[in-house]
Amino acid sequence: MKAVIVKDIKEATKIKDLVDAFLLPIKDFSINYYNTFMLEEVKAVQKLDREVFVIVNKNIFNNELPLLEELLLEIEKLNVKGIFFYDIAVLTLKNKHNLKTDLVWSQEHLTTNFETINYWYAKGVKYAYISSELTKEEINNISKHTKATLFVNVFGYQPMFTSRRNLVNNYLKYFNLKDKSHLKQISKEGKSYPILDTKEGTTVYSNYVLNVAYEDIKAKYLVYNTYLIDDIEKVLKDNNYPKETGFLYQETIYRVKKK
Amino acid sequence: MKKPELLAPAGDFERLKIAFFYGADAVYIGNEFNLRANADNFTLEEIEKGVLYAHSLNKKVYVTVNIALHNAEVLKIEEYLVNLDKLNVDAIIVSDPVILALAKEKTNLEVHISTQASTLNKEAVNYWYAEGASRVVLARECSKEDIKDIKENTKAEIEVFIHGAMCASFSGRCVLSNYLTNRDSNRGGCSQICRWDFDLLDGKEILKGEKPFTFCTKDLSLAPYIPDLMEMEIDSLKIEGRMRSSYYIATIVKIYRKIIDEYYHKRENYEYNCKDADILRRCANRDNTPQFFNGIYDESVQYYNGRLEVTNQDFLGTVLEYDEKTSLAKLEQRNYFKKGDKVEIFGPLTSTIFEINELYDEDKNPLEIVRHPRQIVYLKVPEKVSPLFMMKKA
Repeated sequence: MKAVIVKDIKEATKIKDLVDAFLLPIKDFSINYYNTFMLEEVKAVQKLDREVFVIVNKNIFNNELPLLEELLLEIEKLNVKGIFFYDIAVLTLKNKHNLKTDLVWSQEHLTTNFETINYWYAKGVKYAYISSELTKEEINNISKHTKATLFVNVFGYQPMFTSRRNLVNNYLKYFNLKDKSHLKQISKEGKSYPILDTKEGTTVYSNYVLNVAYEDIKAKYLVYNTYLIDDIEKVLKDNNYPKETGFLYQETIYRVKKK
Repeated sequence: MKKPELLAPAGDFERLKIAFFYGADAVYIGNEFNLRANADNFTLEEIEKGVLYAHSLNKKVYVTVNIALHNAEVLKIEEYLVNLDKLNVDAIIVSDPVILALAKEKTNLEVHISTQASTLNKEAVNYWYAEGASRVVLARECSKEDIKDIKENTKAEIEVFIHGAMCASFSGRCVLSNYLTNRDSNRGGCSQICRWDFDLLDGKEILKGEKPFTFCTKDLSLAPYIPDLMEMEIDSLKIEGRMRSSYYIATIVKIYRKIIDEYYHKRENYEYNCKDADILRRCANRDNTPQFFNGIYDESVQYYNGRLEVTNQDFLGTVLEYDEKTSLAKLEQRNYFKKGDKVEIFGPLTSTIFEINELYDEDKNPLEIVRHPRQIVYLKVPEKVSPLFMMKKA
């Protein structure tokens, strides 16, 4: 099934016939997304008659707990399919209020093995959004060993760094430089990486658009992220973006010193 | 008021001994499955030795097991935990809940939740406590108000980072290493891309300041705020840096030991000694700030230095022996020094400043200059010193 992180209602409306589910980052409670949705806008997307998941994936600061609690109670009324979460507070508050909306374990780079997915499944978390830094073999092995329903990224720029700090604004202020647009990049050794500063912090994305929708990946939901992609409709209909497999066939190492 | 634990890093057995000698109550170390895969780390035999040594001093050893497990590691982790349990370590520090669950089910290990879990709120802290963790290391993004409120609303022990390098990202939310160097940061392979310089582009235009763009932040130091943390009854105060030198460990631990003890014993008359700040800064050779503790994380906490960190070579050597009859200290050299230099030899509680008047080589022949790394020399020291005392420029 195709699940798409869309920019706005207009884009969602345009592509609804090509999509099975919409993933909507919630304003003030999501990070790594430039475009976010108010709850009223979520309701509007629900009218498109597709599955709707909301994304509440920011790290929750202690003083934000009352607002989070309020948000979760409001989301419960919407009857969305599920909530992507990063912070455990989302789960504890769901349990505290006996909320029925399902959760998607979405700890980005930490959703890396089947046992941890099964741990959360046993806690009532029925879905998991798998890390983009895994090989295809690892993903399919997870799929084999879990009852959780899986989301896997197959298209789009991949977040690879998330900070509470406003790193671009800090730099501009420190050196008294003018800010012209939010569309910035950092560059090193001929490669450029999109960098986004929002009030929630800074995100840096991969230098490439991951494009593995054609691969045999054992996951129910294949996720497309439209950030910085102009024409997602074309991608969904006739994907002629270059193949970019990310880590699917490239295992990372972590020990470089011989023991 | 209770006295908090002072928790220091130890990259190997030598640094474990130094951390305890200079006043740490506990150390944290690594073997397998920890986020410093390229540090020297301890073998299981060395862990056993370290634990026995620590317990003989009534101190503690915690072992970090805080990587994000992949499928392959999942299959090996249970056996590893059982082995650690047999070594009688005082706790393991984990971020993956599977390791917590396994430790509770299969071993008697006490479990602390690593800062890698980015725990920022009392709901999450209480979740971990309910799952069997006795302690939570808070995320370094917590403010003073966050820490206070969390501590007041949990039965879990709370550990707070007080000194050392900072991740520019939320812990666990950075895989720059994976993408730029194919090294998995969440399995201990971090190649510190956040210290690199980049061009910052707006379209095709480079936004160029006097120094290049970087994520790099100043170090954390909460030295002036230790009394605040003690008033909150924080259980453990943690120093970052398992890959730091013996000199760094000795200096930082000594300063924080002094601050904790002074405030504990003289609460009413306590005053922060600003000279401590200079020692802390010189030791790391990097500026430091309270970072998020005061709720400030603007441009003032960033480190735009163009990567020009030149070592200050303050550390001159470590005392190996002292002969009270001759007043000669046997010393292993770490940086260049010579006869006539003004130096300071310090231990946990004392320090002696003097000019080097008598200097000899390993065979007791007179010497003018000590220039060879790890050279063994003798020098006359006017006051009694002990093994593990350190010499630095005065």
